[in-house]
Amino acid sequence: MADDIRRWSDELARDPGSLVFLRLGEELRRQGQPDVAMKIALRGLERHPNHADAHDLLARIAIDLSDLSRAALEWKTVLQLDPSHVGALKGLGFVSYQHGRFEEAERYLQQAAALGAGDSVAVALNTVRRSGEISSSVVDAQVQSDSRWLFADLLTDEQQTAILVDENGYVLGGVYLDAEGRDLAQEIGAQLSGISDEAVRATRHLDIGVWRSMTFETDVASIAMAPTAYSSVVVVAVSRATPLGLLRRLLDRCGARAAEWLRDGAMR
Amino acid sequence: MSNPFRPVLESLAKQRGVQASLIVSESDGLIVDASLRFGQDGDRVAALAASLFRKARLSAGAARLGDVAFFQLDAERGRICAVGGRSDLVLMVVAEPNANVGLIRVELLKALDMLA
Repeated sequence: MADDIRRWSDELARDPGSLVFLRLGEELRRQGQPDVAMKIALRGLERHPNHADAHDLLARIAIDLSDLSRAALEWKTVLQLDPSHVGALKGLGFVSYQHGRFEEAERYLQQAAALGAGDSVAVALNTVRRSGEISSSVVDAQVQSDSRWLFADLLTDEQQTAILVDENGYVLGGVYLDAEGRDLAQEIGAQLSGISDEAVRATRHLDIGVWRSMTFETDVASIAMAPTAYSSVVVVAVSRATPLGLLRRLLDRCGARAAEWLRDGAMR
Repeated sequence: MSNPFRPVLESLAKQRGVQASLIVSESDGLIVDASLRFGQDGDRVAALAASLFRKARLSAGAARLGDVAFFQLDAERGRICAVGGRSDLVLMVVAEPNANVGLIRVELLKALDMLA
């Protein structure tokens, strides 16, 4: 193998435009030299920017360097250049699996299998499907032992957050993460619970019935609140870019989840 | 004396389901101008809605969510929508439950500059 590396290196030195950089980079990667392999791959890509296998090589090196984001980016580029690239589909299946996005992983692997990817993909598909089932039961179990997971499966993007607050402003479930990932649930819950008292007062005096929801748009977020069982309130926050109709649907779903959870808790 | 707020209030009052449109001082809950249906207690609506908007604004600020630009409360038999945050003035609408909030919101946000 050392001979191969020397030979391919010489060939590349003689002809920098040669595609031999693909074999050289792959061999260096296999021999545990990802940094050197990366240099070779990047140099090759400068001359062959639209070569699908060159991006695939870069993605595999990125995986060795534990850079999943870079790998995903490169494999997505591969699919733009060659939509039936089995390696990229398998790679993206792997990255999705690592991120816990099992349905997405299954989709990529199914596409790879349909293109004749072989037994290894069939095994990977089984693993992903089992993980998906396990993941659902893990979330269920986690909700029972840690109420911060109460809305976890309803929130579909990282800028969505939801909490359940009791009538005194104490957080019963959910998390409220800021941009730095800090949980501000207690602080937000305490501050926002006061608004519901004001809503009760206003609707009573205006004789417009019981309040059903409140929505407000601030500089940084759109927030919706609704009363739920046992005088508690669900608060959902999304980015300003999210349409208010979508926020409303999310609020309804979180409200139903909270009511169910509170009732189940009361029954236990 | 001409009133710069009158066209905005009248435009809002024309929206389907709108029962009242008011411009209120957030700090004291007093009406600056209003378009009300006959028999409505404007002073009460103004005081309560201004108080609600102020509470929402202060709570959002304390929770480090920034200024509130648009506020909406839905109840069984009515809705309150409000915009403010540019000055002490709040522009608000009381509407029926079946009113088109999307349109009201657009009209309110269009009028927001006028309050500055």
